[in-house]
Amino acid sequence: MEAPDEQLMLAYRDGNAAAFETLYLRHRGRLFRFVLRSVKSRATAEELFQEIWMRVIEARERYAPQARFTTWLYTIAHHRMVDHWRRGGLSLVELDDQDPPGDSPDPARQLEARQALARFAQALQALPVAQREAFLLHEEAGLSIAEIAAATGSNAEAAKSRLRYAVAKLKAAVEDD
Amino acid sequence: MTDERDPKVSRRYRELGAEEPPTELDAEILAVSRRAAETRLAPLVPPTGRRRWYFPVAAAAIITLAVAVTVHVERQQPDAESITPAPPSTPESRTDALEAKKDSAPQAELRKAKPAKPPAASAPAPALRAADTARNMEQPEPQARSAPDAQVTGLAMRRAERGAVEEAPERILERIAELRRQGKQDEADKALAEFRRRYPDYRIAEEMLKKVERP
Repeated sequence: MEAPDEQLMLAYRDGNAAAFETLYLRHRGRLFRFVLRSVKSRATAEELFQEIWMRVIEARERYAPQARFTTWLYTIAHHRMVDHWRRGGLSLVELDDQDPPGDSPDPARQLEARQALARFAQALQALPVAQREAFLLHEEAGLSIAEIAAATGSNAEAAKSRLRYAVAKLKAAVEDD
Repeated sequence: MTDERDPKVSRRYRELGAEEPPTELDAEILAVSRRAAETRLAPLVPPTGRRRWYFPVAAAAIITLAVAVTVHVERQQPDAESITPAPPSTPESRTDALEAKKDSAPQAELRKAKPAKPPAASAPAPALRAADTARNMEQPEPQARSAPDAQVTGLAMRRAERGAVEEAPERILERIAELRRQGKQDEADKALAEFRRRYPDYRIAEEMLKKVERP
């Protein structure tokens, strides 16, 4: 049975580098996508992603499992993202092979699917920052509403409201297809 | 746990793709984590292993040196006052006089930057603080002006002079950035870790973050 996240982080705090590697491999994908969906470019996403992990490493001495490790990790991520957002401007990373709207005359089903996906991506992009973040924390990171509230420094009602608004808007975008 | 997901939305979200970070980035992060695991913060209790001897020896050396130089400085005070232009007779002015004797560009610049401070505390206090590499960078030490900065080594001099003013976080970060530029990665790691311990809520500007974090 795999060790829980909290135990791994404590082990890393005490000098066990292999414990961190296990933890990192376990969370790298989701955290990366969380960041990627929130910024303009992949390069920026990679930079922020690395910075978040650097902060995790730096904070290891202070780590105490008062909440789930995931909540702690995404609290750090949230703080870093807020710093980034404050500098202004963010959008989703464009799909690699997305055709610009109106540029693709091909009515093939595959293209329609890609365009539908692009619309969804744009709908996600169009969400207010707090709503998008709540959605990504719930959908990508698997955080509960209480954990979203803890990670973002808000309360459960606000987190729930943001998440519901986000899902409602995205649902409308999906149902338009 | 209340699940607010909508199945269609979740499915469409998954279709966006399962992007992952590049393997080079993974390697960098893991390398840093391994180095960090080997580099512990200056402990309050003696470390184990091959660095066990380092901290007490360093502390003893700096304390001894600081006490010796302070005694020497105090004995030299009449000479210093006779050389310099007539300043007010305060420990601070005596320190300035000693610094004038040893005037060099870095010291001159630092003196210009220093505001007036209250009389100095006894020498062992700044020396004790200087013995702790990580802690010393942030400790407010407004009374350390008369620390033995005239005759100690370059590193101890910088520490003592830093102790003379309350340092803003930005100055601490600049110093960490300087350590990075000098290639003193381990020192910079320690200093940055201590900074984050001291200022956990401080948001480092992105530009500065690039300079202070390990490349």
